[in-house]
Amino acid sequence: MIEALRKKAEELLRSKTVDVIYGYGEGSTPERTRPVFITKPEDVNKLTWNKYCVYNLTTYLKRQEARKLGKPAIVVKGCDAKTIIVLIKESQIKREDVYILGVTCNGVGEPQATKCKACDIHTPRIYDELIGEKIENKEISFEERYAEIEEYEKLSEKDKWEFWQKQFAKCIKCYACSSICPLCFCDRCIVDKNQPQWIDPSAHPRGNLSWNVTRAYHLAGRCINCEECQRVCPADIPLNLLNKKLAKETEKNFKYRAGYNIDDELAMATYKEDDNQDFIK
Amino acid sequence: MSEENKFEPKIVAFLCNWCTYAGADLAGTGRKQYQANVRVIKLPCTGGIDPLFLIKAFERGADGILVSGCHPGDCHYNSGNYHARRRWNVFRPLLEFCGINPERIQFSWVSAAEGGKWVETINGVIDSIRALGPFEGYQKINTMGPMVSSESANQ
Amino acid sequence: MSKKIGVFVCHCGTNISATVDVEKVAEEAKKKNPGVTYTTTHKYMCSDPGQKLLRDKIKEEGLTGIVVAACSPKMHERTFRNAAIKTGLNPYHVEISNIREQCSWVHKDKAVGTTKSIDLVRMMTEKTRKDKSLKPIKVHVTKRALVIGGGIAGIQAALDIADGGNEVILVEREASIGGHMAQLSETFPTLDCSQCIMTPKMVEVAQHENIKLYTWSEIEAVGGYLGNFDIKIRKKARSVDLDLCTGCSSCWQVCPSKKIKSEFDMGLGNRTAIYVPFPQAIPSKPVIDRENCLLFKDARKKNIPPNDSKVCRKCIDACPIAPVKAIDYSQEDEIVEEKVGAIVVATGYRELEDGLYGEYGGGKYKDVITGLQFERLASASGPTDGMIKRPSDGKEPEIIVFIQCVGSRDPSKGCSYCSKTCCMYTAKHTMLYKHKVHHGHAYVFYIDIRCAGKSYEEFAQRAIEEEGATYLRGRVSRVYQKGDKLVVLGADTLTGSVVEIEAEMVVLASAMKAQDDAGEFARKLSIQYDKDMFFSEIHPKLKPVESSSAGIFLAGTCQGPKDIPEAVAQAGAAASKVLALLSSDELEREPVVARVDRQLPPVFSTCIGCFYCQKVCPYSAIEQEDIKARDGSVIKTVARVNEGLCQGCGLCAATCRSKSIELAGFNDEQIYAEINAVEFN
Repeated sequence: MIEALRKKAEELLRSKTVDVIYGYGEGSTPERTRPVFITKPEDVNKLTWNKYCVYNLTTYLKRQEARKLGKPAIVVKGCDAKTIIVLIKESQIKREDVYILGVTCNGVGEPQATKCKACDIHTPRIYDELIGEKIENKEISFEERYAEIEEYEKLSEKDKWEFWQKQFAKCIKCYACSSICPLCFCDRCIVDKNQPQWIDPSAHPRGNLSWNVTRAYHLAGRCINCEECQRVCPADIPLNLLNKKLAKETEKNFKYRAGYNIDDELAMATYKEDDNQDFIK
Repeated sequence: MSEENKFEPKIVAFLCNWCTYAGADLAGTGRKQYQANVRVIKLPCTGGIDPLFLIKAFERGADGILVSGCHPGDCHYNSGNYHARRRWNVFRPLLEFCGINPERIQFSWVSAAEGGKWVETINGVIDSIRALGPFEGYQKINTMGPMVSSESANQ
Repeated sequence: MSKKIGVFVCHCGTNISATVDVEKVAEEAKKKNPGVTYTTTHKYMCSDPGQKLLRDKIKEEGLTGIVVAACSPKMHERTFRNAAIKTGLNPYHVEISNIREQCSWVHKDKAVGTTKSIDLVRMMTEKTRKDKSLKPIKVHVTKRALVIGGGIAGIQAALDIADGGNEVILVEREASIGGHMAQLSETFPTLDCSQCIMTPKMVEVAQHENIKLYTWSEIEAVGGYLGNFDIKIRKKARSVDLDLCTGCSSCWQVCPSKKIKSEFDMGLGNRTAIYVPFPQAIPSKPVIDRENCLLFKDARKKNIPPNDSKVCRKCIDACPIAPVKAIDYSQEDEIVEEKVGAIVVATGYRELEDGLYGEYGGGKYKDVITGLQFERLASASGPTDGMIKRPSDGKEPEIIVFIQCVGSRDPSKGCSYCSKTCCMYTAKHTMLYKHKVHHGHAYVFYIDIRCAGKSYEEFAQRAIEEEGATYLRGRVSRVYQKGDKLVVLGADTLTGSVVEIEAEMVVLASAMKAQDDAGEFARKLSIQYDKDMFFSEIHPKLKPVESSSAGIFLAGTCQGPKDIPEAVAQAGAAASKVLALLSSDELEREPVVARVDRQLPPVFSTCIGCFYCQKVCPYSAIEQEDIKARDGSVIKTVARVNEGLCQGCGLCAATCRSKSIELAGFNDEQIYAEINAVEFN
């Protein structure tokens, strides 16, 4: 698989189809990988692929430093590829401006990442070239896909509040979560708007609640569950639980899964006349 | 009329200009009485209400919030209330997930002709929040640090 | 420089001061609210002395922001803003704190009302501190109008606007203008012949130098905004060149397809495949009904161009126009574009469909007919030359039953509204019937007789007293055939008896319904409609001809059932609104519109161009704008608001995650300040 990846990468660079490959390279230890940006055909051997390729390279699509390197080919797993669909739908990139090197994947991380547990996209749903044996995308039930958050949903109101207050209290407002998120691409984040200052930027409970709730809400109908926010959080706040809760509500209420079908209208930019309104008097 | 320490809920209501605000005016014209625990903020449309507004109201010490606009199909801007409804469909469960009782944020459709429904709705909200008691959780975190006011941020 | 805010608290006689301590409200405003430099109270702020006080104090005290604590902003916001304009203060620095409708009138306890008023004033004071000067938006006006629908309402509106000196585009989807009024025999309450009063108006439309008529045409799309609408009109293929055709009738006389049911005669008469809907049609030129024409049928079957079919070419052969014939089988639909400044919607109604009342045998028994069908029977130019003859056998009915409220006032059939004209036209029908069948007898089943209108009640009484119609108060449960008679089973609720009438013909007073495509059409125009699909006026009393979209007006039955005089009056009202609008070169609009953040380079705008705003905007007011470098390369694509289209709902602002788009008058800082001022003393 690695060979096939390197061969395709070399071909893309030689034919000038793309200017740069965003891929995974070997890290300082065998259990680590790091992002590599290959611009020369002779460097393609730096590319690798293994179960430690946990993170989502599409976050570099929002970075000016990376974009300056020219048209990219990007190595994506099935989950990561959903980001590209969202980015296209949100006018952040044109389909023809990115070459998608899809890799089939049976799960990453050691131990296996949570996001892989109920994965139904082992083979990307969008790609220009597929690397690796095609793996059938088995359907996984709604309940199974959101099983992770069930125990938190079942908590009493008071326990929920206490649980999250404890979690948010750890937040140091480092914004690693939004920096890593491939879909937090605003030039100016709402937290940086100071006239008026809707969200208190200092790391104290009130602002922490506003920030974490708003961050999650801004990903409603958009988050593709790559779990990068949670992975990079230095305070170990289980941020993805919030994202997942919103994904669940979006799917339940609007039959929408972010990044799943390129033809679906963005859930939070449309409506249906018969949307749920049980809660409205 | 009440004991010193009796809890009086603080309700902030975000109303659309064309339907519920006009409905609340109509309740006034009809001299229909209701509890005074509400402060109304008028906006052109429920579609223009950002969830940040609601969070801000809690930060200011609201015990409960009401968002109310035109009935589906009646929006002055055709589809503003539909978009709003979609927003609340995800925002409400998110707050609930974080341990905020969904009763603390309520939604209603009240038309310009429904002065009676306005009275019923706002009294209902006030009564239900009265039963829930003060939003101590939020008030506690509100007092834990300095409040950034628009004033200090601007100057 | 901080603002100097004046707070003016109104007593409103005792409307406010009875339950709110206005002096205390004023006092507290000065004591507690930063920026407030002047406060006062006045008995009636909206009165001339009250307004003068406001103006004087703005000047004397150098006030740069005003809060008037008084009645609802819906009452006097405009009044006080206009007062500010006279002093040179930008009116958008004036805010109203609603302490009457939403405080003094709804809370009896004075202490409670006072506390709440103090809070409300503070909230508005804080908002006012953040108010910005706004300039009204000027929009250029295209001095032409579009009238959609060529019935009596559309015709009247078009003529009035054209007489006022403006060009009018009149679009009618049928082959002729005239609408339903052209189908009527005589009109109540004067019984003058509909054609006689209608035809001259139709001719006037055709001859008016300011009216451009499109018949057999439909509105394809409506873009733009008040003063500047872009209209796409689909000219459906008529197969006849209107410029060449003289309407000589040679073609339809030779057409072999003669048994096509005439729509104009409500299916009671026949027409040819190439036809003029009725003799007085405007334009008096034919159209080919491609569904039923032998040549087009043949071409469809063989899948060949119509021109290649040789099955029947009688009409083109008969056409005396040379060298180029006026008939053109190969004509295709054509889209034409027109620019107008205002629109009058006069798309009319349709009659209730037959099938809805199976129990009355509508659509099942030939001799159960609708109101409009009766009009055609009674019309001198109708299929029976004005004789009342049964469709089944041509016999003159000696007993005739009229059933009122068919499809109206019947919530069980989903039609709860009153169709308004049926009482009158049924009374008229009984008279027309009596005038033509002297020995006949007419029965009318009714729920109520609603004849509110000038000389209407007298007219209905005449039908009963002079013309001898028997009015029975009650519903009909069933109509069934017995031999060549129709048995009408009903109740007479006044005598409490069951009535059974063996009638020879039954006429259903079918309700006026909204056009089938009303919803789709309303969406094209971005106007609202009610539960019955009639288009909604913006205010049921004070703005009865304005639709929910600025610059689009309503006339006639598309807005709800009405009779001819009402439709004409409404058309005139809509026309006067249009004339007022077109009288100036530029229009001023409330500047409550959205704006996208712009910054100096290198940022240019905090907008990242995700275009959620564009997707949610109900008015397509968001455009994409490329910000370019000097070399022409695109740095970023951001949103831009078309101020002419924006209606100021703020949907975009609430959707924008980075808050890069704001609504003027309700901008981020204003709303923030208002929420932030909530304190609950």
